[in-house]
Amino acid sequence: MDAAASTWGRRGLATFYGLLAAFLYVPIVVLMIFSFNDSVLVAFPLSGFTTRWYRQLLENEQLLTALRSSFVIAAVSSVLAVVLGVLASYAVVRRRFVAKGAVTALLLSPLVLPYLVFGITLLILFRAVDSFLIPRVGIYFGLGTHAIVIGHAVVSLPYTILTVVPRLERLSTDVEEAARDLGASPRSSFRRVTLPLLAPAVLSAYLIAFTLSFDEYAIASFIAGDVTTYPLYLYGQVRIRIGLPQMIAISVIVLVLSLLVVVLVEVYRRRAERRLDVGLPSG
Amino acid sequence: MRDRVRTWPGTVALLSGPVLWLVLFLIVPLFIVAGYSIGALSLFPTDTGPSLYDWRRFLTGSSVYMSLFWKSVQMSLVVSVIVVLLAYPVGYYLALVARRRKYVLLLLIIAPFLTSYLLRVLAWRVILGAEGVINTLLSSVGLRDEGDPVNWLIYSRFTVVLVLVYVWVPFVALPIFVTLENLEASILEAGADLGGPRWSIFWRVTLPLSLPGVGAAFVFVFIPTIGEFVTPSLVGGTSGLMYGNAISELFLKSLDWQTGSVLALFLVGVVAILMTISARFAQIKAVESP
Amino acid sequence: MGMGAHTGGPSLRLDRRDFLRAAGVMAGSGVLVACKSASSSSSTPATSGSSSSASRPPIAEEAGDLRIYEWLGYGDGSYGDDVLWAEYKDKGYPKPKFTKTFDDDAGYTKVAAGERWDIVHPCGYRFGDWVALQNADGSPVMQPWDTSLIPNFADLNQSLQAAGQFNGEQYFIVADWGFAAPMYRADMIESPEESWGILFDETYEGRISWWDSLNMFVVAGYYNGVANPWAMTDEELDAQQEFLISKVPLVRTFWVDDPTPDLVNGDVWVAYAWPNHWWAAVDYGSGKGPDVVYMNPKEGMTSWYCGFALFADTANYHHAHEYVDSWASTASAEWLINNYAYGHTNTALDLSTVNQQLVSTFSLDDPTVLEEPNSHVEVPIERRDVYEERWLEVKAAG
Repeated sequence: MDAAASTWGRRGLATFYGLLAAFLYVPIVVLMIFSFNDSVLVAFPLSGFTTRWYRQLLENEQLLTALRSSFVIAAVSSVLAVVLGVLASYAVVRRRFVAKGAVTALLLSPLVLPYLVFGITLLILFRAVDSFLIPRVGIYFGLGTHAIVIGHAVVSLPYTILTVVPRLERLSTDVEEAARDLGASPRSSFRRVTLPLLAPAVLSAYLIAFTLSFDEYAIASFIAGDVTTYPLYLYGQVRIRIGLPQMIAISVIVLVLSLLVVVLVEVYRRRAERRLDVGLPSG
Repeated sequence: MRDRVRTWPGTVALLSGPVLWLVLFLIVPLFIVAGYSIGALSLFPTDTGPSLYDWRRFLTGSSVYMSLFWKSVQMSLVVSVIVVLLAYPVGYYLALVARRRKYVLLLLIIAPFLTSYLLRVLAWRVILGAEGVINTLLSSVGLRDEGDPVNWLIYSRFTVVLVLVYVWVPFVALPIFVTLENLEASILEAGADLGGPRWSIFWRVTLPLSLPGVGAAFVFVFIPTIGEFVTPSLVGGTSGLMYGNAISELFLKSLDWQTGSVLALFLVGVVAILMTISARFAQIKAVESP
Repeated sequence: MGMGAHTGGPSLRLDRRDFLRAAGVMAGSGVLVACKSASSSSSTPATSGSSSSASRPPIAEEAGDLRIYEWLGYGDGSYGDDVLWAEYKDKGYPKPKFTKTFDDDAGYTKVAAGERWDIVHPCGYRFGDWVALQNADGSPVMQPWDTSLIPNFADLNQSLQAAGQFNGEQYFIVADWGFAAPMYRADMIESPEESWGILFDETYEGRISWWDSLNMFVVAGYYNGVANPWAMTDEELDAQQEFLISKVPLVRTFWVDDPTPDLVNGDVWVAYAWPNHWWAAVDYGSGKGPDVVYMNPKEGMTSWYCGFALFADTANYHHAHEYVDSWASTASAEWLINNYAYGHTNTALDLSTVNQQLVSTFSLDDPTVLEEPNSHVEVPIERRDVYEERWLEVKAAG
């Protein structure tokens, strides 16, 4: 007997899922429709089919540059967030130390700070650093890509920790101990045993951080300096009506691409974890 | 010797990177905000020194901001409850019913998350507007007359709740799914042991065990939504002013950084307290080495 | 401009307001009339920061990497608007880097917090605030222009340039201006009274759109007959606030960027709007869009103006002047009017090259269109923070 649900229960839940999924996709479908609509106005009635928005955005230098900037920023800040996150997760899960509650709270605290406020204070911080450095050493920190990378690495950190910790908890320490018993140094046992076991979770954490950074607007709007990120460009274009259809088209492309990536990664992750976990003591 | 080996790398080595990072780029900025909130720092040179005037003004409710805070809390509560109520059956279905295809189905509902947030909100404007999808459908089917569209769909509190629920459900379904997936084995055991109606298994085993995860998911929505202001301002019409809007306007329009900082710090404080209380529901536990 | 004519500012207001009114009355030279001689004689051109330009490196030694904080769609090339600085481009100078914005206040905040550019393009309501900005060491953040380096300056409407003068120096080259008035769907609303009251009329309950700005107080002031809505006393503000709060239930939404989509959709029938909103709604005069009318209310339209300002620490002094000069040209004026339905301060423009529908709607050929009581040129509000807080309270009542 299926402990989870009766036949009617199964059907009811499946219907519920179907309705909810439909609800979630209605705006997506609407966006897709309008990405082919032959009019600048995003409103009914429809004006005919066209692919010109897709063609136009391929020639849109500003948009392509913005996408590139966002990609770089997301890639780099996510690496930072994941590295710091893995270190922190390891400490939280495998170590005992004083004031663990307080440290955990600190590590998760970026979740609670409004991005708007965070962006402003980072701006002030960087300018203060500059006004200190410039007269003394002649160099400056400035705003731009590196500033946004720092900001995003801060706000992504809790998410990476929240992704890696559960996986780390499920991993028993027995395997690492076994490796060490067999003579591996702690460093190499971490590298050759723990890290590969963690790899799928690390990859997920990276993706989450990447997605967050790629779509992040508030913080970037303050510390971007001369750089335009994709969300900044998007928000700007949405406000002048002429730019809107192109933005819809690019977001459809981004959606399809990220869907592909996420599907592939998740498939890999689940297969990898299942393979890696086979033969491990349960616990 | 075994103990020393077991504690490599040292706790300090592990934590120094993340903690330093956060202290430098999070704690220091928070102190700056605190400085602004009491007037110790200010945007333009002023004659007045530090004072708690703006704190007092805010906390005693003599300005409009405190009522905005409660308005936002209330809105966030409504949204969070609805989101959890909707996400739970989905998580349940995926984790415990649709066993083989659960990951695909899960990804399917997370995918919309990958489109730009702003565009998803704007799409709702198109759907709910006077000449939008719903109204066009209603009038073509004959349920409503032409030129008499349903007005409360857009630019109302209903819209704000609807769009926020829309944005959050996929995000919340994930932790609930993970929680229930972890419980799968226990539930099957309970089923085998207890026998009896499935309803009572759910009520006596599944629900209580999943409550911590659900609680965490609730907090996960509730906290950021208190400060949410983009969606309310885009689709909320005249009822769309929230606490977050006030903070944004104070910083960017009135340039009253003192009051803005007070509001921001208050939000941070409230949320910090909420997070601490719910920390017991979070899945971070110390693992004792055997 | 893109979006955001607000009003406000501290100190020097009183002097400038009177001066502005006097200059406006004196001008008689009109706004866009091809009367170069008349306009240049109306008021003394500001003294240039001449001593500073003499000591600056010549243009050949400048890097030329202009950084401009500019309204979206005002030269960044969003949709052909780089015509606005075509002459600069034709002279072969490197393309400027634009930091795009749709928010005047956000730019001011960023500069106050320490960001710098070469040129910025704020609107009149905060001119005084910009001039008053100081670095940590007390030196000013902005510097005046040297109008001798801007050949087109002589053609510009001098009364509006006077609004950009502080301490006898030309801190702002005022280039663009425009109106604010109600616009409405003529197919939904038949021959309404030409008054600001349309925004407060119960007949259109749930179909009204206000601008999300304290300027609604000014509008309410003009509608209710307040003597000077730009400088109301606390009692007057109380009365207007009560009035506005009582009318909020009639309002559908407060628009931030653009009331046009809602108007075209039929979600609202009447909105506070700038000329570019109306022009877009009627599809740039093509006759294709819905029937939208830009009203000239009997209490008078309000108008705003924006201008270029120069940062004191710029390394591209001469390039900046060249850029502003090309923006001030008649070619730019023509493009701006035809595409935004705004006004441009270049009085040498031949109006026959401009879309005649615009000329007639906004009386661009009438020299007195910007004078009282035909319309009310924006006056920076001294107690802007008071207005701002009261506006927030009005919104919170929704």
